[in-house]
Amino acid sequence: MIEVRGLTKAYGEIEALRGVDLSVAVGEMCVVLGPSGAGKSTLLRCINRLTEPGMGEIIVGGRPAPRGRQELRELRRHIGMIFQDHNLVPRLSVLKNVLTGRIASMPQLAAALQLFPRADVEIALRALERVALADRAADRADRLSGGQQQRVGIARALAQQPQVILADEPVASLDPKTARVVLDDLRRAAHELGIAVLCNLHQVEYALEFADRIVGICAGHVVFEGTPAQIDDSTLLRIYPDLTGGDAVALSTGAHEAFMDGILS
Amino acid sequence: MSRFRLLAGGQWNTRRRFHWFVGLVATVGVLVWSARAIELSPAELLRGLPWIFDFLSRMLPPNPAFFERLVKPALETIQIALWGTLFSVVMALPVCFLAARNLSPSPVVFQLTRQTLNGLRGINEIIFALIFVTAVGLGPFAGVLALSIHGAGMLGKFFAEAIEEIDAGPVEALRATGASPAMVVVFGVLPQVIPSWIAYTLYRFETNLRAGTILGIVGAGGIGFELYTSLKLFQYQDTASCVLVILVMVMGADYLSSKLRARILAP
Repeated sequence: MIEVRGLTKAYGEIEALRGVDLSVAVGEMCVVLGPSGAGKSTLLRCINRLTEPGMGEIIVGGRPAPRGRQELRELRRHIGMIFQDHNLVPRLSVLKNVLTGRIASMPQLAAALQLFPRADVEIALRALERVALADRAADRADRLSGGQQQRVGIARALAQQPQVILADEPVASLDPKTARVVLDDLRRAAHELGIAVLCNLHQVEYALEFADRIVGICAGHVVFEGTPAQIDDSTLLRIYPDLTGGDAVALSTGAHEAFMDGILS
Repeated sequence: MSRFRLLAGGQWNTRRRFHWFVGLVATVGVLVWSARAIELSPAELLRGLPWIFDFLSRMLPPNPAFFERLVKPALETIQIALWGTLFSVVMALPVCFLAARNLSPSPVVFQLTRQTLNGLRGINEIIFALIFVTAVGLGPFAGVLALSIHGAGMLGKFFAEAIEEIDAGPVEALRATGASPAMVVVFGVLPQVIPSWIAYTLYRFETNLRAGTILGIVGAGGIGFELYTSLKLFQYQDTASCVLVILVMVMGADYLSSKLRARILAP
């Protein structure tokens, strides 16, 4: 569903991506791991072109690079995005926030007058049900807790009925319990709805617990690709070269325990 | 050892002392020069004091019979302020998006609109009123136009600054869904700015009411005309009535609009 080949991106002198190859299949939860500044965000933002990519090729759902704004909007319509700070519109209701995911496919004038097609409202409500927040539909978005707001963010992405969801550090500001709920919502979106999910994380244990496949990125290069079971100390050291051997052992031991907990629970 | 240590403004050295000395001399020089030009004279004020008291005593008591004649001009002042505010909102709305750095299509458009707004803002209402009186004739409509144009400059800038202060996150999220620029504004920008826009508009109404009380002096309608004529005719008790009515109107508008603004801006 997502094909990335030889992607580069430089910000002035700084090379964020130096030839990244990556593919995510339909219904797959793919987690990108890597230290801060490795280029994880840039990679995601290049895919829906919130950041203009450098060289290389990005194909989403068989669509080549968009030419012109019309094609760009058409591409983005099929790609949901989840942000670290959820980026909900604070003064709008939860339902309206989710409906914004459908705006690109609605009659514009009616939408501007706050008249939404019943079918779209229905889709938005179903998306809210998937994240178990249908009962909060009428509340203002900024009345919800951080974890709930992030799940509304997921519902907004789901309301797009996307082929692809990009999640940029979706649990970075959440406590572990809430983080697991959010990541579980994302994984179920992949497995039950057949959406290709590409998710940036910096916590190894979450990646081991929730990913179908892990891609490790360091300094703009892909340094690991495989299943969670294939992660060991030496791969972790490749992804996080600043760690000393001891740290990596501790990290991976802790991570494996968490992984086992995840499987057993 | 002193028990106190002066911590005003960092390290003092000879050069800095010299700069301070030059600055001080220049400031005092300009103030003295200006004082001479404007004939600043405490002695004159002291000599005039009895006349000021005489004038004030002639104003008292305010003429109650005159209040009746002030009802219509007072209402007219409010009506001028109302339409002046409405027109400035209508003019400011389409321009403010172009004058906001984060939404403007290009730096050239941004500078052009922002500077135009600054120009309108820079010219006082009374000057606009004088111009419009010549153009459309004496009367309240000239006043409405004056308040509209000056207010459009003010509100346009305030509205644009409110847009510049919004959280960019939701806007980016909407762009990422493939929404058109117009929809990004309707669902990402407007919900974030409308409360402060309403607050600015209420504040503008307050200001327009205050400005509306003097428009009559140049023949642009409202209670200012009665004030001006009563002074010219030495009817100081009538003047006092005018001042009282103006005070009540302005304080009433201040009170109402601050209450409303507090309610709207409450989270």
